[in-house]
Amino acid sequence: MSALQFLADGFLVALQWHNLVFAFIGVLIGTAVGVLPGIGPMSGVALLMPVTASLTSGLPPESAAASALILLAGVYYGAMYGGSTTSILLNTPGESSSVVTTLDGYQMAKQGRAGAALSIAAIGSFVAGLVALIALVFLADPLSDLALKFGPAEYFSLMLLGLCAVSGLGGKSMTKALIMTVTGLLLATIGMDTVSGVARFTYDIPDLYQGLEFLTIAVGLFALGEVFKTIIEDDQSTKEIIKVGRVLPSKQDLKESAGPITRGSLLGFFIGVLPGAGATLASFFSYIFEKKLSKDPSRFGKGAIAGVAAPESANNAASGGAMIPLLTLGIPGSGTTAILMGALLMYNVQPGPLLFSDHPQIAWGLIASMFIGNVMLLILNMPLVKVFAKIIETPSHFLIPLIIAISVFGVYAVQISTFDLILLVICGVAGYFLTKNDFPLAPLVLGLVLGPMIENNMRRALTTSNGDFSIFFTKPLSAAFLVCALLWLLIPLFLKRRGKQVIISEEA
Amino acid sequence: MNLMFDRIGSLFFALVGALFIAESRNISSSAYGSQVGPNIFPFGLGVILILLSLRLLWETYKKGVAASSSESQSPLRYKRFLFILAATVLYVLVLEQLGYVISSFAFLLYAFTMMGSKNILKSGIVSLLFSVGVYVIYVHLLKGTLPGLPAWLGV
Repeated sequence: MSALQFLADGFLVALQWHNLVFAFIGVLIGTAVGVLPGIGPMSGVALLMPVTASLTSGLPPESAAASALILLAGVYYGAMYGGSTTSILLNTPGESSSVVTTLDGYQMAKQGRAGAALSIAAIGSFVAGLVALIALVFLADPLSDLALKFGPAEYFSLMLLGLCAVSGLGGKSMTKALIMTVTGLLLATIGMDTVSGVARFTYDIPDLYQGLEFLTIAVGLFALGEVFKTIIEDDQSTKEIIKVGRVLPSKQDLKESAGPITRGSLLGFFIGVLPGAGATLASFFSYIFEKKLSKDPSRFGKGAIAGVAAPESANNAASGGAMIPLLTLGIPGSGTTAILMGALLMYNVQPGPLLFSDHPQIAWGLIASMFIGNVMLLILNMPLVKVFAKIIETPSHFLIPLIIAISVFGVYAVQISTFDLILLVICGVAGYFLTKNDFPLAPLVLGLVLGPMIENNMRRALTTSNGDFSIFFTKPLSAAFLVCALLWLLIPLFLKRRGKQVIISEEA
Repeated sequence: MNLMFDRIGSLFFALVGALFIAESRNISSSAYGSQVGPNIFPFGLGVILILLSLRLLWETYKKGVAASSSESQSPLRYKRFLFILAATVLYVLVLEQLGYVISSFAFLLYAFTMMGSKNILKSGIVSLLFSVGVYVIYVHLLKGTLPGLPAWLGV
């Protein structure tokens, strides 16, 4: 069957009424998450993971996984949409990939063109989402066919490449990012070894035998960590929100932003596919690119509509592009996709080349639902942008304790153990202090998700070679991946030594 | 402060690495006749972690005084944080004893007030709606498991 046939089947899954509801809830909550300054896409997805698990508990396993993924992916790209609203109206980015949008978006709002800026951001995001999806449809099959040819050695090296990429771009200090990666991998070894059945680092504590639960750690580090940050650093200053005004953009606006949206989408998509890069970098690059291309660069920073259209399209395209390595290779390239992968693993679904042949319902259902979700977002955002702007005014003294309560509920509902709740709180405190001191969390989560797979593939490869490590270098594909991994670490170091500013991706 | 954290952090991570190395020596070193046992991966990672921590330590000394203390402008509210953290820990510990509804209601009401909510009636209503709402929807509609009301209440 061709990809289009599969896609049609996917639409059948996505158009089931409960999946439509899940997609709608997902994008709605996602937009709210993007609008609220306290929580970003990563903590939003982490926070909702246990909640979706309990919502879908009545369904058969495969369709439960499909529905959960549809909802969580909706949160992911919904947050990308919503992030622009606060950037434009408040000059405060809701999440890091909308930082660039503040430059021109806020200026436009001050000139009374807030509505135009918001709607162009929504249209740009919509187009970008479609571009990313079309590319996903056509790349999914060839890429997963390629990945099926990989042996354990190739997989090990490829995953190492993924980890190095995220660590190389993951924060202000590469050493710290690498430390977090290795810590994540080490935490993943706790519990029963899946190959030999030996208990490792469990010290006869029953809770440790099944390993540290990914969900607990992710919710703790991201959701609670950010909540604690708001509690400690919130200055309680209330900023004035600019009135939205006329929502529809003028013909002139549309004409000016058509080019930037197209370029931003394509650029963002390719950056998104690269592991480690992600939406923040994509929005930065497309902004710089548009400024270079513009006939009159001085207009940027003073309310140029291209300065809103390009980065907003780019960050959405990047979030779509980031799904490609996750779905086809089973390797998440960013923190958010790592959490999505954790969600898939929770349902016993292994992302990767076999996903498309073993669980076509999940893979294509997800892809189709992203089409539908993007349409929903456009419909939601154009008329409802004024309503979403109101969400910003939610008093934080209600919001913060509620997020804590939802985290506790979510983790307890899935794990039913006090041990996990205590781990949750510990992770929350650790998450706050680590981020505050520039230890990035995304590499740790990535290490935690990839840990068991890396280890298994390494041991399988070494078993076939009788413990000879040269197997990773003698296989050409594997060697190529390792060289890329090394370059990914060395090039930023090299650039830094030459005194160049290296743009880093805080969201990663 | 920042450098201090990095130094202590690097020592801490080095210690973690050493712990994993030491403990991985107690794990059997082969499985099913394969020469590669479950010990090799944590052992190798432990070594890498120690090396990275040493590099971080070296980096903090290299930066030395040059790093300026860029503390954030707004005063940090550690007191409020500690109170809410304590409340969260208490909430988590009594959840199974007091049941979901009672402990959630108490935690939310306390945390709302702590975060600066003036209107205690409004806080009470929001806490009650959330705790009872989540319990009813999750346990009665979705058939999930949450600790109910404690038995000694006799309800």
